[in-house]
Amino acid sequence: MSGQTVGANCVRPNTIQNERKLIFSAKDIHKHYGATHALKGAGIDIREGEIIGLVGENGAGKSTLLKIIIGAEEPSSGSLTMHGKLYSPRNPMDANRAGVGMVFQEQSLIVSLTVGQNLFFGHEREFSKFRVINWKKLYKEAASALADVGAGGINPRKKVSDLNFATRQMIEIAKVINVTKGASGEKCLILLDEPTSVLSEHETRNLFEQMKKIAAKGHAVVFVSHRLDEVLEITDRVYVYKDGEGVGDLLTPEATESKLYEMMVGRTASGEYYQVNRQREAQEEIMLEVKDLGLSGVFKHVSFQLRRGEILGVCGVVGSGKEELCEVICGDEKPTSGEMYIKGKKVVFSSPAHGLREKVIMIPKERLAQGIIRTLSIEDNIAISSLKILSRNKFVTVKSVRKQALEWISRLRIKTRGPRELLMRLSGGNQQKVVFSRALASKCDILVLNHPTRGVDVGAKEEIYTLIRGMVTEGKAVILLGDTLDECIGMSSRVIVMKDGLVTGEFAAPPDGKPGQVDVVSLMM
Amino acid sequence: MAREARASMSITEEFAAKIRKDNQKDKIIRFAPIIVLAVMSLVFSAINGRNFASVSNFTTILNQLAIPLLVALGLTFVIMIGSIDLSINGTVGMSAAFLGVLVMNSRNGMDLGLAGVLLAVLASVAVGMLIGLIHVHLKIPSFMVSFAFMFICRGLGLLSYQGRPPRILDPVLTEIPRMSFLGMPAITWVALSVLLLCIFIQEYTAFGRYIYAVGTDETILHSVGVSVKRVKVMVFTLAGFCFGIAGVLGGIRLGQGDVTVVGTGLMFPAQAAVVVGGTALSGGKGGVINTVVGVFIMTVLFNGLVIMRVNPYIRTGVEGLIILAAVTLTVARGAKVISK
Amino acid sequence: MSKLKMLSKINIRDNIIRYFSFSTLIILLIFFSSQHVNFLGTANLRTLLSDSAPLLIMAAGMTSVLLLGSIDLSMGSVCSVANVITVMIINQFAPRGASPGLAAIIALVASIAFGAASGLLLGTVHVKFKVPSFIASLGFMSMWQSAALLITPAPVSIARVMRDSVEWYRVVFGVAGLPLILAMGWVAVVFAFQKKLALGRAIYAIGGNERAARIAGLSVDRTKITVFAVNGVCAALGGFFLAAKLRSSAPTVGDPFTLLIVASVALGGTSLIGGRGGVLGTVLGVFTVAVIENGMNFIGVDPYWQSIVFGLFILAAVAISIDRSARGLVVK
Repeated sequence: MSGQTVGANCVRPNTIQNERKLIFSAKDIHKHYGATHALKGAGIDIREGEIIGLVGENGAGKSTLLKIIIGAEEPSSGSLTMHGKLYSPRNPMDANRAGVGMVFQEQSLIVSLTVGQNLFFGHEREFSKFRVINWKKLYKEAASALADVGAGGINPRKKVSDLNFATRQMIEIAKVINVTKGASGEKCLILLDEPTSVLSEHETRNLFEQMKKIAAKGHAVVFVSHRLDEVLEITDRVYVYKDGEGVGDLLTPEATESKLYEMMVGRTASGEYYQVNRQREAQEEIMLEVKDLGLSGVFKHVSFQLRRGEILGVCGVVGSGKEELCEVICGDEKPTSGEMYIKGKKVVFSSPAHGLREKVIMIPKERLAQGIIRTLSIEDNIAISSLKILSRNKFVTVKSVRKQALEWISRLRIKTRGPRELLMRLSGGNQQKVVFSRALASKCDILVLNHPTRGVDVGAKEEIYTLIRGMVTEGKAVILLGDTLDECIGMSSRVIVMKDGLVTGEFAAPPDGKPGQVDVVSLMM
Repeated sequence: MAREARASMSITEEFAAKIRKDNQKDKIIRFAPIIVLAVMSLVFSAINGRNFASVSNFTTILNQLAIPLLVALGLTFVIMIGSIDLSINGTVGMSAAFLGVLVMNSRNGMDLGLAGVLLAVLASVAVGMLIGLIHVHLKIPSFMVSFAFMFICRGLGLLSYQGRPPRILDPVLTEIPRMSFLGMPAITWVALSVLLLCIFIQEYTAFGRYIYAVGTDETILHSVGVSVKRVKVMVFTLAGFCFGIAGVLGGIRLGQGDVTVVGTGLMFPAQAAVVVGGTALSGGKGGVINTVVGVFIMTVLFNGLVIMRVNPYIRTGVEGLIILAAVTLTVARGAKVISK
Repeated sequence: MSKLKMLSKINIRDNIIRYFSFSTLIILLIFFSSQHVNFLGTANLRTLLSDSAPLLIMAAGMTSVLLLGSIDLSMGSVCSVANVITVMIINQFAPRGASPGLAAIIALVASIAFGAASGLLLGTVHVKFKVPSFIASLGFMSMWQSAALLITPAPVSIARVMRDSVEWYRVVFGVAGLPLILAMGWVAVVFAFQKKLALGRAIYAIGGNERAARIAGLSVDRTKITVFAVNGVCAALGGFFLAAKLRSSAPTVGDPFTLLIVASVALGGTSLIGGRGGVLGTVLGVFTVAVIENGMNFIGVDPYWQSIVFGLFILAAVAISIDRSARGLVVK
């Protein structure tokens, strides 16, 4: 694995580009979230009429940077300028006034209102006399605003719920351009966060046409996407991010997919970090087999076997379907096609409770929302997946619950004042250990670990790796969605890669022959 | 065949197909209420003939419509923001009682006339605002706040006349139930003007847009700098206004400010009318016009049942069934949906 | 530092909730006995305690429902229907000269069966169709109100020959009557259900974080439906007790109880959004409500004040116990 400095800063934009007027620039932006250092001195320059691509792995810092530019987050340090003036938006409205607008991944249109009503939502006063809205005037302006972005064909009086996604996306863009332009009168900067993820091939084409038209009018567009082919097709220049740092920018004609892959893969930790020496060969017994599994509109044709003592890594970007795959396997979602076999027996899970009965359990990604129960103590949090084991004639005694909790507290070295302490009073790492204790106490032998090290500090991460290694040594089978690509490859004995809901590749990952990150990434994007 | 076609679809196409199906369902739900109303009218006409389908019965329906319409209008906006108001019977009864004791009456020496009418409505407006403020600022779910206020208002109403309801003696007010214009009673005219006001608010003011937005996604309002709290409080205040008018009209029609008569049996039909009209409990969908259709459905239904001499006690049961059915058909489902 | 501060704030709030009903109860007792010397006399205490039995049974059931974060507004009308059924069945036996005891037992079984069926149905509609419980139970409330009126439109007394079937209600040991003892026994059953049974522990987990409880493998749907069914039984038992207490039925007898039940549970410190509290707190809450009701009658306060006072108490109790710390909390 090379990776770390390949291609960094090696290509500078040529001078022709520099003759265009600079709209926006950010210098040396840092952002801390508690212990995590999400941005480490990021910078970006954007000129009039440019379409800029922003690429990087999940967690590379793209979304944090966008949030800072739109004013949804404040940078910890660093400076931003817009049209040459210092720019420090405190909220998205400030940003709009300064000429920056963003189309978020989740659509912000109110579907029961019309196109025109959505376009000028929050700006009705400008069309009102004595607080009565003059609809004729509003719809006239709406038509011209739509024509401005080359979407004059959309009827502003139509209800949004009657329109398709591509059209809605155009309305979002028209809305953003309109509020931003309306305020400053200058050229504006439009941020598009994964705009094509819900669009069909044809709709994407359409969107690109409109983006070109917008850029031709002198506005600048930032296009964030996991789909590198699209980035290479539509942008003028690409910024690559990795681990919270910009690793460089290059003109699109000079970029290729493989060049970008090399730039964006993260740094590789040593094999020691992931305790690769403890990695054992998988046993013969097949614990779980899925055949042609699918969830309508999310993923399909997923097939694999999971053996006893194996860690199967699943790699893919957000939206590749890997998380929904976890949910289907643990019983939280019902698959719409395909079959699942546990130790050769066909199963159709109706709920995670059913999954638990067949000894499958998931450690969820969002610890606060899906993992812990704030109102319960540590002992009760551990006990909820093992109530059946603990109960005698359906009755559970406090004694057995406490005994079990004490055992896990000492085995996993959970730092706490006692089993009766409320779980929410522990640190993130210790909370995660409690969630692990719950899964282990359930005596399940297939564990689905969805980002098990998310939001825990370095020390706790190491302990969790030890724990996972211990689990497979004991003969459990693990499906792992790593928090980073490196973690996923480093921990797993086999890796499957997903992209847009399909499995695009499979790698064996023995201790002495881990697949390269570039190879995996090239199948992810 | 169909299965093969699905197998060959790409994932994006599957997704698009799913959205299209949802949209189709939405469209059906949009037109269902009016179809239900039409079918119901036809069935009752077929069964009851001239007893049902006649000008005089239509006037009766318009008469019966007035107060349920007012109550349902107020509730519509509350449901559109995704909240609920269970205080209806209390607030309506309270403003009827206050009207009774403030105008010329049989219980005390008060004789405020029109000012009394205004004060009675204002009391209900104040309660609505208070419900909104407590809900928004103390973050207590609206059903709980309004549930408590139903009893508080009922108590206030009973307290105002100490047990024996006042008879209204004001000469102008006692005339109103008998007044009519263009063949329609004055009380119905008042209800219709409040309806127009509500349509105006919904369609021609920024506030109307914000109501839809709160019900759809509160963050949309944050991003344009509109206060969600203010919109919510205003919605509950507006509901209080509608309930107040309903209470005053109810008192005038009865000739008595009786909490237990005027403020009884209003909540179920109002909830049923709103949900059956197609305003989703989750908020953001539907509106005043839907509610008008819903109120017609409920009124025509009970008018038809009365003509058919069905046991009147069955009425609340039917209302309950309608609420359950309408909500069950429109509510979001799926294994992961959490409903409390 | 800020975390510490937050934690101590939580501690203070927890303690306020814990001692709220207890201190309210003591203050009220002192207040009412200072107003009237006989307030704590045996006669009044006896009425107070035995009158609170039906409320105690019903509030015990509602505690589990509120622990889930749901609500059942139909309890009052389920109670009415059970009440009407009880008296109807007992009177059916009157002309046949059957033993009053047997009649009472058959009526009891029928009431419980009805309550369980109603709760099962409500739970199923709420859980399987995802209809929010307050609106589903509102629908049931209006259906059962109607049903009670259809069975017997007017109050009916228990026939004189069958009076013995309800005389157990008037058996007294000291200040505590048999109804209270039975009700306390029922509370013990509910307590065991909530705290000792595997299923009961699930209630707390579901109320605390339903999503996490589901992923951890708890049978969320089954637990919820069971809780609603048990609650239906509680409501029906309430109706049976009321028939014994009043020696008659009334189709609207349960209506005022909805408010009192919610007030008792809220005063007892159970969080209305779920996950925190328990049935022992509810016992205190019930006695607080009973003391307020009885005390206000005793010192001659206008009865119309009662619903105002209980309404305000609910608001106050909820305002204190609700957890507002979650970021981006959307309350509807």
